[in-house]
Amino acid sequence: MHLKFIRKLILALSGLFLCLFLIVHLSANCLLIFPEATARVLYNTYSTTLRESTFIKVISYFLYASIILHVWYALLTTISNRKSKPQKYVVNRTNENSTWSSQNMGLIGILILLFIVVHLANFWARIKLGLGEEVLLDKHGNKDVYEVTYSLFQNFYFVIFYSLLAFPLGLHLHHGLKSAFKTLGFYHKKGLELLAKVSLIYALIISVGFGLIPIIVYFK
Amino acid sequence: MKIKFKIWRQEGPEDKGAIKEYTVNDLTEEMSFLEALDHLNEQLVLKNEEVIAFEHDCREGICGQCGVFINGRAHGPINNITTCQLHMRSFNDGDTIFVEPWRAKSFPVIKDLIVDRSAFDRIIEHGAFISTNTGSAPEANALPIPKAVAESAMDAASCIGCGACVATCKNSSAALFTSAKINHLNNLPQGKAEEHKRVEEMTAQMDIEGFGSCTFTGACEVECPENISIVNIAEMHARLMKAKILG
Repeated sequence: MHLKFIRKLILALSGLFLCLFLIVHLSANCLLIFPEATARVLYNTYSTTLRESTFIKVISYFLYASIILHVWYALLTTISNRKSKPQKYVVNRTNENSTWSSQNMGLIGILILLFIVVHLANFWARIKLGLGEEVLLDKHGNKDVYEVTYSLFQNFYFVIFYSLLAFPLGLHLHHGLKSAFKTLGFYHKKGLELLAKVSLIYALIISVGFGLIPIIVYFK
Repeated sequence: MKIKFKIWRQEGPEDKGAIKEYTVNDLTEEMSFLEALDHLNEQLVLKNEEVIAFEHDCREGICGQCGVFINGRAHGPINNITTCQLHMRSFNDGDTIFVEPWRAKSFPVIKDLIVDRSAFDRIIEHGAFISTNTGSAPEANALPIPKAVAESAMDAASCIGCGACVATCKNSSAALFTSAKINHLNNLPQGKAEEHKRVEEMTAQMDIEGFGSCTFTGACEVECPENISIVNIAEMHARLMKAKILG
């Protein structure tokens, strides 16, 4: 019973956890804007600390689970929702009663998933799994994750890819954050109005932040 | 004014149906949209053609019978009105107007623009009432209800069950309708006794009928003739979780 609602609850909870994760991720990425020598030490020390922490290890499993659950239940919800509307309208002006992003969360989600796959292949696979080109150590004996990032963003096409895909992320977060709270039963009217503003600001900070950093690193 | 109608025609539930074109030359801006359809039907009668079937009753925006998808919008281009409250002055001379029935798996087409909305009735049957016979109206001051509570219950109770929320929702979700019916009663002391049973059974029936999940596009509250707020859906979720936890 209430299977559809339980799916939505899982979507909301995993989504909110991912929203929290993005704040931490973006804060760490900000270390990349420092001058080269400082950025290298800070970024490598930070990533070594994370890799060696048991707490972060546990969190990372939550993170993998959140991504998988979010994708899986989004897929199930989308399939069942499509079945509820088997015949589409000949003319449907959804732009007059709702935002484009709220109507296309699935499509935007696929773009973000594509980004996550490429992003994991670029970093996670090399650093955590040891696949591809070996990651060298810096002079403090830490894995030189800064170099991995820096060299990737010397490639013009990757800069474009990373910066452009920050845009769908922003759209997804803008609709997702405020909707997650409504799914979870937050129904305070004034609170929801405030939440809509918070969602917009949050989505702007995250997407502009993630979108700008590759460009800054490219021109460093 | 001259209007080119492109209207969905469908013989019956089994028929495939298709858009058919009609041109009407002598409409006036003062006509309501339904009167324009009446006018077209009169011309069809004179030509010995089958008239277009559409639902209507009060024609003053209170009964919830009328409701068609007009130019890509539930109840037409104006926010928060019923189809019968729409007038031809909202269109321009020479316009083409697409008219389609509500689209949802749970609202099968009966004929032309008429859909079967009995799925809503079955949701109502699962708890949108108070099951004890309370006799005649009690003394008004015996059961004080704070103004804010009375207002929010009344706001929810104003839902006329037209189905525009389901029609406009990309998921054909009935969450706005169901939440309005639940919150109307669950907000009031008379409805409190059965609040958990009500929310559990009505939302379960909503799923059984094949309506989709709410993804908060917000289209429903823009099309709702009674301005039912989408906040009702969030409140329904809170009530459902409370019912699940407290039993």
